[in-house]
Amino acid sequence: MQSKKKMKKPLLEITDLFASTDNLPILKGVNIQINSGEIHAIMGRNGCGKSTLSKIIAGHPSYEITSGAIKLSGTDIEDLEPEERAQAGIFLGFQYPIEIPGVSNLEFLRVATNARRKFLQKDELDTFEFEDLVKEKLDIVKMEPTFLTRSINQGFSGGEKKRNEILQMALLEPKIAILDETDSGLDIDALRIVASGIKKIANTNSGIILITHYQRLLDEIKPDFVHVMANGKIIKTGDSELALELEKNGYDWTDEFINQD
Amino acid sequence: MQIIESITNKEKPLDHKSTIQKICFDKLKVTPLPNKKNEIWRMASKTKLASFLNYKLSDDFHDPVIPYDTANQDFLRIIIGEHQNINYIDENYEIKILEEEEIVNLIKEKIIDCDTTTNWSNLLNHCLTKKRNILGLNISGQKIPYIEIISNSKYDLFSSKTLIINIDKDTNADITQINLGDENSALSASSYLFIGKNSSVNHGIVSYGEKKSYIINSLNVFQDKDSEYNLGSLQFKFNFARLEIDVNQTEGNAKTKIKGMQITKDNEQISTYAKIKFNGPNGYLDQLNKSLAKDRSHSVFEGLIIVPQIAQKTDASQLSRNLLLSNHARIDTKPQLEIIADDVKCMHGATISQLNENELFYMRSRGLTQEQASKLQLRSYYQEIISFLPISKERWDLLSLLLQNQ
Repeated sequence: MQSKKKMKKPLLEITDLFASTDNLPILKGVNIQINSGEIHAIMGRNGCGKSTLSKIIAGHPSYEITSGAIKLSGTDIEDLEPEERAQAGIFLGFQYPIEIPGVSNLEFLRVATNARRKFLQKDELDTFEFEDLVKEKLDIVKMEPTFLTRSINQGFSGGEKKRNEILQMALLEPKIAILDETDSGLDIDALRIVASGIKKIANTNSGIILITHYQRLLDEIKPDFVHVMANGKIIKTGDSELALELEKNGYDWTDEFINQD
Repeated sequence: MQIIESITNKEKPLDHKSTIQKICFDKLKVTPLPNKKNEIWRMASKTKLASFLNYKLSDDFHDPVIPYDTANQDFLRIIIGEHQNINYIDENYEIKILEEEEIVNLIKEKIIDCDTTTNWSNLLNHCLTKKRNILGLNISGQKIPYIEIISNSKYDLFSSKTLIINIDKDTNADITQINLGDENSALSASSYLFIGKNSSVNHGIVSYGEKKSYIINSLNVFQDKDSEYNLGSLQFKFNFARLEIDVNQTEGNAKTKIKGMQITKDNEQISTYAKIKFNGPNGYLDQLNKSLAKDRSHSVFEGLIIVPQIAQKTDASQLSRNLLLSNHARIDTKPQLEIIADDVKCMHGATISQLNENELFYMRSRGLTQEQASKLQLRSYYQEIISFLPISKERWDLLSLLLQNQ
């Protein structure tokens, strides 16, 4: 008899995904499956396609899926607009969070949270209700309420920007959170705050993809699976031991996959 | 063009009584229309200019329809043309009406120097404005209440309003001019600001029109040394609008900051022409003009910084940033420098772009629709300018709302 877990559809299922930008192939057959409660790490050299994969899952309009499928809880999402994917539960934590001068962080977070709540058929929050909610979530990433009154990411330090990403993740309660090099540019203290925030948000109903170059984030958040990408596809999958091997031996061994189509 | 006919018709000459009107009339009857070959009129739509001039001149007072709550009276509101007794004297400040002779003394020399090539708008305004539609103010002191001055036009008519403000030395003032264009109407507005030594003026000009409304608005600023002049301007919803800014730092050693924005849609044409002249050393200018063009509209910005030999150590910057939101819209921008002095720091530049795709994607990736994201993005584009206007939070919010609905 199969267990209930095995019967359940994966949260995210990517099958034979090929994608390109400006007719340049970037992804060349990615396969990955993420179940509820799992944390996956994707590692690889610069330019191997990690960030592109994250953007394609989130629906970045600059990339074209040429074949393959992306399913969220069994439903195809590759034809959905970025906002529809976000409302359905995809969250992308940006490697370089965008600064948007003049747009209040608080208002942006409220509109985003309500878009997700509307999709979940929950009541939308008015300004006061939202302020109560956001103040509660601020504690997760140790942010001061003054961050809310500033423009989105404007004048934020690298660490503050990343914490703001995790705050958004906490508010949106996504099914799948893809965190693209969330550890880059962080000092040890900031890394711990961010990692602690991610762990507090992680739950058995959601999945997390950590895209990273380094072991130090994975020391804080232990992944269930580690995937190595090279030349637009996943070339090896293992457990957290694989990340330690990479830390020790580097990526030279992945070179044989480059230009191998 | 009814307005031009009223100037050139020898059988029915306009009733010219004032010295200023006579000077302007004599100049205009020779050259009644601006020369299209001149740089500052080259881009102007001939059809729209003709429409602007094709209304019947009206001297009567018409109550303006003010698009916001007017209940708050903790500031001074003056409507040009309405008979108001304006003499405010406080222990800290004094605001009083300028007599006709004082006005003539202030602007006569300036008018004599005007030519129909570059100052046509001023000349037309002075030629047509009757005494009741000329407001002259002398302002002095500190802790002066915020002053709002309204010029308006009325349906099917041409209105002409003139404002002259003399700011005494050591004075700080916040003044916003609201130009309201009624539907299917034309408004000519000319303003003069004389800013005394060691004074500071925060000046706003908000020109808000309605369907088929036309406006030509000229602003002439003369800054004495050690003065500071901050101008925030906003033009929108006019079928045809021109703002001609002429700032003269009469002895240098003064600071000027200008932040302006124009928003065009449908087939509107809105233009800003800015000429900043430094007549002495150590002058400072920081100017930013933004425009946003949608549909089949046309937006124009031309700027000119003049730095003669005497204006050594001038530090001037003039930037034009533009957002083109339609493939059919058009933006013309031309910031220029005319520098003779050799020890100066001057820069100018222009960009034309579309909405930032990275910002849009960031917001959409959080669940905001393209429309919500664009609106937030546009608000951020406006905010820099609106926050520079010397207006209250309530009006700031209202302007923001009006712009959102553009």
